[in-house]
Amino acid sequence: MEEKKAKKRTSAKTLQTAREAGYFGKKMLANTRTAVEEGRPVAWSMVDWWLGVPICKAMGVEMVFPENWSAFCAASRTAEPNLEYSEMDGFPNTLCGYARNTLGYARKLKDNNYVIPPDSPGGGLPKPNFLLGCGAVCDARYKWFQAMGRYMDVPVWMLEFPQVGYKEYYLPGNKEKTIKFLVDELKAFVAFLENLLNKKLDMNKLSELVQIMFQTNKIAHEVDLLRKAVPSPMVSQDFWAVMTAHFYLADDLEAQAFYQRVYDEVKHRVDNKIGAIPNEKYRMLFAELPPWHTLGFFDEMAEKHGIAFVFESWNYHVPSPLTAEERHGISDPLELLARFSYHKFHEMAPVAREHDIDPIIFVAPYLNYVKEYRGDGLMGHPLLSCRPATYTLMHVRNLLMEKFKVPSVIVEGDIIDLRVFNEEEAYTKMDAFIETMDYHRELRKKAGLDW
Amino acid sequence: MSEKKGLARAAEIYAKSEQYARELKNQGKKIAGYYCCYVPLEMLAAVDYVPVRILGDMNENITSADTYLPTVMCFFYRSCLDLAMKGKYDYLDAFFGAHSCDGAERVSYVWRSYLKYACNFNIDIPHTVHPPAIEYFKNQLEAMKETIEEKTGQKISDERLAAAITLYNKQRGLVRELYALRKADPPPISGTEVLQVLVAIMYMPPEEGNALLAEILEEVKNRPVTAQKKPRLLITGCLIDNISFTKLIEDSGFNVVMDDTAIGSRSFGHDVAVTGDPLGSLAERYLDKIVCPRTFRETGKNRAEDLENRFGYLRKFVEDWKADGVYLNIIRNCDPHGYEIPELKYYFEEMVNVPVLAIEQDYSTASLEPLRTRFQAFAENIE
Ligand code: SF4
Ligand code: SF4
Repeated sequence: MEEKKAKKRTSAKTLQTAREAGYFGKKMLANTRTAVEEGRPVAWSMVDWWLGVPICKAMGVEMVFPENWSAFCAASRTAEPNLEYSEMDGFPNTLCGYARNTLGYARKLKDNNYVIPPDSPGGGLPKPNFLLGCGAVCDARYKWFQAMGRYMDVPVWMLEFPQVGYKEYYLPGNKEKTIKFLVDELKAFVAFLENLLNKKLDMNKLSELVQIMFQTNKIAHEVDLLRKAVPSPMVSQDFWAVMTAHFYLADDLEAQAFYQRVYDEVKHRVDNKIGAIPNEKYRMLFAELPPWHTLGFFDEMAEKHGIAFVFESWNYHVPSPLTAEERHGISDPLELLARFSYHKFHEMAPVAREHDIDPIIFVAPYLNYVKEYRGDGLMGHPLLSCRPATYTLMHVRNLLMEKFKVPSVIVEGDIIDLRVFNEEEAYTKMDAFIETMDYHRELRKKAGLDW
Repeated sequence: MSEKKGLARAAEIYAKSEQYARELKNQGKKIAGYYCCYVPLEMLAAVDYVPVRILGDMNENITSADTYLPTVMCFFYRSCLDLAMKGKYDYLDAFFGAHSCDGAERVSYVWRSYLKYACNFNIDIPHTVHPPAIEYFKNQLEAMKETIEEKTGQKISDERLAAAITLYNKQRGLVRELYALRKADPPPISGTEVLQVLVAIMYMPPEEGNALLAEILEEVKNRPVTAQKKPRLLITGCLIDNISFTKLIEDSGFNVVMDDTAIGSRSFGHDVAVTGDPLGSLAERYLDKIVCPRTFRETGKNRAEDLENRFGYLRKFVEDWKADGVYLNIIRNCDPHGYEIPELKYYFEEMVNVPVLAIEQDYSTASLEPLRTRFQAFAENIE
C-alpha cells in the first residue's frame, strides 16, 4: 500500500531571520509578566495600526496583543480548550476565533483568581489594567474587549478609526477634518490614560518612540519593495514570521535592529538573484489571514508546484513613509500618529479612484500588488471566524479577473478553527489551479499585459 | 395599488413594497435607497427624494450574491445585495450606504462598485459618542449634503432641512404613539401588524406615511381588542423585516409588545432637536440617541456600570411595556449583536429577573419552523 506522507503543520521558513523571529512574541509576553511583578501597568491591546500603542508605551504601559497571542495558540494548536470555554459561556462559535480564544482564556484567568494558569501557551497573559479597543477594520476589535468585562472588570478605551470611501476621501477638506478628529480623539485617550495612571504623558518620550516607529516601518516598507524582485527573495511564510517585529513592536529598538537584518538578508538575495524557493514557476498573492495551524501548506505548494507566495495580507503591511510634505511643520507626535495611521488606510485611494471601485482597504491594495509583484494568481482564504478579512475576497477575485485577467483560487478555512480547514480539498484545488494560471498567463500576454 | 385604508393599506404596501416603489417612480418621484437607521432621511427628503429602506427577503434564495460576497457573513446584507444584483432595486436613483456595522460598510462598498448611481454617498459612522466623534459625524453629514446638492442641483437650505426635520419628528412621534398603545394588556395591535406598518412607511413619501399613521392610530384606538392576554415579549437584537417571523413568535404563545431593533424603535425612538444648527442636531440624534451595540458606550469604572450603560434603556422598555420575557434575535454571523449575548442574558436574568431567549437564525423563512418549539417552550416557562 502506498504510504501517505504526513502533511507538515509548521512552515520551514526560508530566511534565517524568519526562523529567529519567534523571539519577539515571547519577549512581549515576558515583558508584561515582569511588569506585573514589578507593579507596572499592563494593557491588552487590539492591533490599532500604531495609533494608540506608542502613547501607552510612552506612559510606561507594557503592551500585549491578544491577536498575536491567539495566532501563537493556533500555531501551537493549543486554542481548542479556550474556544470551548467561550462557547460554554454563550459566545456564538461564529465569532472571531482570536476573540473566543482570549474570552475562554480570560474566564480561566478569572476562575484562577487572576493567577496565570500554569499550562498557558507562551507563558500566558497577565490581567491588564485596561483594555485598548479600536474601531478600525472590524467590529470584533471593540465588541470583543467590551465582552471581556464579564471576566476582567477593567475599563476599556475605544480608539476611533475613520474609514472613508474613495469618493468621500477626495471631497475637499475631508481628509484634514478627519485627521483633526483623530487627533482630538487621541487627546481624549491621553486624558483617559493620565487619569487612570495618575501621571502625565511625556511628549518628548512619545516623539522619540514615534521616530523609532517611523524608522522601523520605513525599513519594513523597503523590504516590501525588495520583494518585487523576480525570483521572489522572501515568501509569505517568511513574512508572517517576521512581521511581529514591525506590526507589534515598531517602537522597539531591538525589533528595529532585527528588521534591518531582515532587510540585509533579503537585499543579499535580490543582489544575487537568489529565490526564496528553488525553481519559482508561479507567483501568487495571498489574501488575507493565513491558516496559522497549517502553514506547512505553503512549503508544500513551493515544493510541489514551484509556487512562490510573493505578497500577502494588506492588513499586516506598513504603508509607505509619510512624505516630507505631509510631515512639514508638524511636531506634535499625536498628529504624526494620526496622519500615519490614516495614511495606512487611505494610501490606495488613487488606485480605487482609477478603477472606480471601493473599498480602499482590503481591495484596492490588491489591484496594486498584482501588477507590482507580477502575480499569476491569488489564493483567497475566506475565514469562518474572521469576516472582516473575508467580506471582500470575492470582490477582489472578480476585480483581478476583470481588470488584469488574473485568476483566483478560493480555499475556505480559518485562522484558528481546525475543523473547517479541509486540507485534502485545498491540495486538490491548488493542483487544478495550476492550469488556470497557465491559461491566464497566455491571455494576459495576448492582452498586452506585461507579466 | 388599491385604495385600502389604515392597517389594510399598510399590509398591502408591506406585501408589495417593490411594486409600490416602482409606482412612485412611474409617477415621476426620485427614489433614494439607504442602509440601516443611521442615514438621516431628512437630508434626502429635503431634495424630494423618497427614501426607501433597503431590505432583504427571507423568502428568496440567495444566488447572485454568491459571486460577490462570501457565505460567512450576515445573511441580511447578503440578501440585500442579492436582490440588488437581481435587479430588484433597479428603480433607485440614488444610494446611501452607511458604516453601521462592518457588514453594512463592506456591502455598501461592493454595491456601489458594481451598481452606479448619479448620486451616492457612504457615511462613515464613528463608533463612540465622544464630542469629537459627533463633530466628525456632523462633518460627514455636511459632506453628504454638499454631494447631494451638487448631484441634484438643488440647495438644501436650513429652512428645507428644518421642514424635513419637523416632518420626520412628526412621523417618529406618531410611531411612538402607536407603540404606547401596546402598553395595554392585551395590546390592541400585534407585533406583526406593527411590522407591516413600519415597513410600509419606510417605502412611502413621509407626508403620506404620516397620514397613514394617523389613520392607523384612529383605527387601532377604536377597534375592539380581540387579542388574548399572553406573555408579553420584548424583541431586541438584529432586525426582523418579515412577518412570517413575528407571526411564528406570536402563534407560539406571545404578544410582541415592544422591540429594540433597527426597523423598530431604534428608527423612531427619538426626535431631532429643533435648533439653529440642523446638521448638529441631526448628528446628535443619529449618532448618540440611537442606541445600538454597534456604538461603543463608555464602560465606566466597572462591569456593573458598563452593563447599565449598555442595557439600562432596555430595562426601561421592559418596565414600561411590562414585558415578561426578552427575545434576543441574532442573525447568524452578526458580530455587534453576537458579542452581547452572554452579558445581555446575565443582565436580564440575574439583575432584572426577566428571562431571555437568544437564538441565532439564518434569515430565511425556510429555516424558521424549527424555532417554533423553542418559542413555545419559552412561553410555557413564563406562564
Ligand atoms: S480582523 Fe478578524 S481576526 Fe482580527 S480581530 Fe477582527 S475578526 Fe478577529
Ligand atoms: S444583523 Fe448585525 S451584521 Fe447584519 S446588518 Fe445588522 S448589525 Fe450588521
